[in-house]
Amino acid sequence: MNWLEVSLTVNGELAESVADVLARFAPNGVMTEQGVRFVNDEDEGTATGPITVRAYLEVNDQLEETRQKLEESLFYLGMITPVPIPTYKQIADQNWMEAWKQHYKPILIGEGLLILPAWLDNPDPKRIPIKIDPGMAFGTGTHPTTQLCLELMEISTSHFPLSTVIDVGCGSGILSIAALKLGAKTVLGVDIDIESVKNSRENADVNEVGEELLLGQGSVTEVLAGQFAFKSAPLVVANILAPVLIRLFDAGLADLVEPNGEIILSGILDHQAENVIEAGQAKGLKRGEIRQMKDWVAISMKK
Amino acid sequence: MAKKLKAIVRLQLEAGKANPAPPVGPALASHGINIMAFCKEYNARTSNRPGEILPAEITIFTDGSFTFVLRTSPAAVLLRKAAKVEKGSGVPNKEKVGKVTRAQVKEIAELKMKDLNAISLEGAMLQIEGTARSMGITIVD
Repeated sequence: MNWLEVSLTVNGELAESVADVLARFAPNGVMTEQGVRFVNDEDEGTATGPITVRAYLEVNDQLEETRQKLEESLFYLGMITPVPIPTYKQIADQNWMEAWKQHYKPILIGEGLLILPAWLDNPDPKRIPIKIDPGMAFGTGTHPTTQLCLELMEISTSHFPLSTVIDVGCGSGILSIAALKLGAKTVLGVDIDIESVKNSRENADVNEVGEELLLGQGSVTEVLAGQFAFKSAPLVVANILAPVLIRLFDAGLADLVEPNGEIILSGILDHQAENVIEAGQAKGLKRGEIRQMKDWVAISMKK
Repeated sequence: MAKKLKAIVRLQLEAGKANPAPPVGPALASHGINIMAFCKEYNARTSNRPGEILPAEITIFTDGSFTFVLRTSPAAVLLRKAAKVEKGSGVPNKEKVGKVTRAQVKEIAELKMKDLNAISLEGAMLQIEGTARSMGITIVD
């Protein structure tokens, strides 16, 4: 079955009225989409601006009649408040369950790592695969911050064998899983979001490292308070945002790193790097290797 | 992690009946969102409210991950319920299909305050009144 996409871009106040009109002719439902604006580097973003309302009509013998009735209804709505003319686009039917997967390809990381979604086979058996299914936790491996962090972890583990690792803000668990696959015996992953903890568990099981991954809800304070199996490790990874990393240094982030250990910090825009380094230096850490991809950097610091 | 929003998508669906067909498929596939994960989660969270239209507001991040929250039923649905009518008027400027009182509008506005962009209850009521007019529902005191 093919579809006709009906689309109107309107202001926020009109969106619901237009959605209601479209919903009368598209019984499967309607969607609206709004863009995002950022006020500063720390801002996750806020939905703002015009809203696009879309509905999908089945292409069948009644399509023209349905389309006329829809336009009539929009015309009458326009008698009350101005409504833009709808635009139409033919959409070929496809296997939507599979269509979204086209966005994901295996990603080569550093010398020997490979991120791929669980539905793909490892195309390069010489590399260590980390299987991550995109879902409801941040860290699918497509973002430069994750890739940079993994590159530095790979270098770090080539220097000394890992025993334990702490992953602060574990998200999908991708860094924890990578640490285990790079040789760590046990990894503690913590996140303030319980959904991330659940998602990390699922991903660890898919990667067959579930037993070695300890997970818990919390952050630096909870780890230091002894709520989990260990309070410090020779390698700590934290892929969060720069202002949050700086705040976490005040909460004791550097105390998680054992003497002679290392912390890998990511989620940092290039112009924020010096501030993060200064925050780490103030807690006794020394600047190590820095990697950059686009405008993101990851920083290694040593104790 | 470095969470940054990419888009906010709102899907107006019947509780417990999300499936990959449009609008869900095209809305989410274009952002690389795991459609099966969304449908499963939406249906699990809404299956106890059959027949209701429950919008899901999906926050899409730059790496293809997402979260979503359920919003209150659309104002149009609440107005139809309050006016006890099956559907809105196809010719709202001429044919009126029903009436709601200003108190009912206030009740709906209060319920939807957190979902509307209005900064005051009065602003929210104006939005609800606008939706009512667009459906051929008259407001009475």
